[in-house]
Amino acid sequence: MRDKSHMDQIERWAEYVKTHDDWKLKLKDFINAQFEIANRFYKELEKTPEGREKIRLLRENKVKRAVSQTDKKSMASVLKKKSK
Amino acid sequence: MNRRVDDRNVLDKFIEDFAKVLDRHCKYIVVSGFVAIAHGRTRATEDIDVIVERLSKEDFEKLFNDLIKSGFECMQSSDPIKVYSDYLNQDTSVRFTNRENFLPPEAELKFAKDELDNLQLNNRRKLPFTRLDIWFSSVESNIAFKEEFLKSDKDIEDARHLRLVCKGEIDEKEINRIKSLIKKLRLNK
Repeated sequence: MRDKSHMDQIERWAEYVKTHDDWKLKLKDFINAQFEIANRFYKELEKTPEGREKIRLLRENKVKRAVSQTDKKSMASVLKKKSK
Repeated sequence: MNRRVDDRNVLDKFIEDFAKVLDRHCKYIVVSGFVAIAHGRTRATEDIDVIVERLSKEDFEKLFNDLIKSGFECMQSSDPIKVYSDYLNQDTSVRFTNRENFLPPEAELKFAKDELDNLQLNNRRKLPFTRLDIWFSSVESNIAFKEEFLKSDKDIEDARHLRLVCKGEIDEKEINRIKSLIKKLRLNK
């Protein structure tokens, strides 16, 4: 979905950040709203028979992803040391 | 979908109000990152991607004027003919924000460009768990696009998330059918 209008938006927002003091507040409301919507979904999911199991699987998946990212970073650091 | 209107946060209000105007004029779907967030993915997106059915210039002008009347503003131009001819009809997206509060959130709107987008529009659905009264593209098409076409780390994680939260409800055959269409129509394979 990336085209010219996306780059225009980045430039517009950067300009706004440079010229307006309230940008953090605007961004905070926007980001918080996204997390609120995500949390609302979990509340609904939890009410279903399989909901708790799905939430458990999601947590497991998050942990696996975090471990694999840490492994990648450690490996990169070992390779960097070796190459020196 | 039985939230009280005053319970709505800034994003609920933006997308539901925007979608209400679209609904009066055409078929639309919300796709991509916002679908994942509405399904509980805890990440942020910069915009809400919307696909609308391809409209004639006259019909688009009516939609555009209704959006302006309802408090939205197009970032590319205030002239509906220019927006239609220079952007949407060239398969380039345009962006709408609230006139009063022009950043963020923002809707990125584009016309359906092929059989694949029309298929998504025809299979659109409302998702009660999101408690948002808007039309989404199906979970199957979001997974197919993210796994077969978009493919960034973020998209692969979104697809994994959707597969987990919708486990037992996903139509794998439909995902494969959409992936085949993506290969044929978007990747020329």
